[in-house]
Amino acid sequence: MSAAAIVAEDVGVRFYFDRLHRVTTPTLAHVRRGVTESWGLRELSVDIRGGDAVALIGRSGAGKTTLLRVIAGILIPDEGRLSVRGQLGSLLSIEAGLLSRLTGRENALLLGVLSGLSRAQARLNVDSVSERSGLDDAFDRPVSSYSQGMLARLGFAVVDQARPDILLLDEVHEALDHEFRERVQERVRELLGRGGIVVAAGHDHPLLERVCNRALLVEDGRIAADGSFDEVVHEYLARPLPDAPARAAASGSRRGRSGTRSSARRS
Amino acid sequence: MHGVETAAASTGREVEGVSRDRRTLRRRAELLLALTESDLRARYGRGGVRLFKWLLDPFALVGVYLLLVSVVLDRPGAAPGLSLACAVVPFQLLMMSVMNAMGAVDLRRSIILNMSFERSFIPASAVLTETVAFAASFLLLVLMMTVYRVSPTLAMLWFPLVVAVNILLAVALAYVSSLVGIWFSDLRLFAISFVRTLFFLAPGLVPLSLVGGRAADLLRLNPLSGVFEGYRSVLLYGTRPAAWELLVPTAFSLVLLAITLPIYVREQKQFAKVVA
Repeated sequence: MSAAAIVAEDVGVRFYFDRLHRVTTPTLAHVRRGVTESWGLRELSVDIRGGDAVALIGRSGAGKTTLLRVIAGILIPDEGRLSVRGQLGSLLSIEAGLLSRLTGRENALLLGVLSGLSRAQARLNVDSVSERSGLDDAFDRPVSSYSQGMLARLGFAVVDQARPDILLLDEVHEALDHEFRERVQERVRELLGRGGIVVAAGHDHPLLERVCNRALLVEDGRIAADGSFDEVVHEYLARPLPDAPARAAASGSRRGRSGTRSSARRS
Repeated sequence: MHGVETAAASTGREVEGVSRDRRTLRRRAELLLALTESDLRARYGRGGVRLFKWLLDPFALVGVYLLLVSVVLDRPGAAPGLSLACAVVPFQLLMMSVMNAMGAVDLRRSIILNMSFERSFIPASAVLTETVAFAASFLLLVLMMTVYRVSPTLAMLWFPLVVAVNILLAVALAYVSSLVGIWFSDLRLFAISFVRTLFFLAPGLVPLSLVGGRAADLLRLNPLSGVFEGYRSVLLYGTRPAAWELLVPTAFSLVLLAITLPIYVREQKQFAKVVA
């Protein structure tokens, strides 16, 4: 495998919103009135090399998922440059690209082809996906009947079958049961051992710590801190909440509620 | 020697290029088939019940319209059931392609948000899915030809071309519909009503031969008219389709594709933002 790498230079991703605050496309933004723009990512630069397991830390809406989607090629940067070297495998939601009306087997076939396999190869791999997912008979049932954990198991098994060099995870691993988490960690170690990259976002810091050796603090679409996992998490937890001044001005009872929210957010 | 080396290298590059083109084509075909296969299962389920679902709509529509034309309007014309089927069957392909394509991006939302793939094929796969259903509804045409004792003639050789024009129009409408589904999702029902209106602004219920004067000339401008009359020429009248019957829908489809395809290819890069 050639060394996997992700290099972003001043990457920006812009969103347009119509008057009803719905996201709209640039083409319509030029035609419609009252359109506003907002940057999901701005001037974001990062260099991730083979062997790095990077945790994306930050509050909800900071830009972690957007960054993962840009790396996965799902979103195209509106400015800056992004270079991704290596076969990608992404699991960016619990649904993980699964269509609810199809069975696990049918989804595995479809996603296999979409990820670059030939139909024949995807058919050959499907039994291996079934085995890796550990879903047994449920593999031939529509995924609409699956629990969140089962969806995540199937999604991970599908991604894993393509033997990616770069694995992108977005909070999905948090839905996995203990046994399957162990298996994910094992696969991550194996991937890192052969020079691959893992980028994982989430709020379950103890879980991320078990997988990642590096962390990026994402704030307002920018990298606010980059370093070892412990350092970055410490810095994140030490930061005041964005709406702290407003709360400080509020009543004592309101302060009490804020404190509860703060600890919940940083669990 | 250097020249020979250059020529050999150039030939090598050409062979490599052809081989790469073939791989790309094969890859695209596989992608289209995989999307269509999954769409067929997601929309129509599995097993024999699919055939029933595919046939239900055209049979019901022909039945209702037959009643309308023969009893209420009292303008049956020749072999009214077959004449109606010649409009209903091709219109079903157009209508279902429009409906499928409008929701096709939403249907694949979870995939679009999880991985990068060639999203330009989504409307094409919607048409391919509905073409399978459309092929099943040919049974209705055969049935009506049998009921009205209309024998196939040599004009049937034109049938594949008439069907190809029908599919081309469906593809063109599918790309527009996908964009409408993304840009103006609130207007989907209106868009469907608009396409239904086009059926009635074409010789759908009665053949063009029963429409007289200036109205007939105006109806010819509707691309659906050419398609309906093309089916009637080949299956009902046993004649080759008139040039306008093929040219008007073909020209309309090509112009529509020339305008919307580049827009679609550009917009598909933004789908993940819109459906998120």
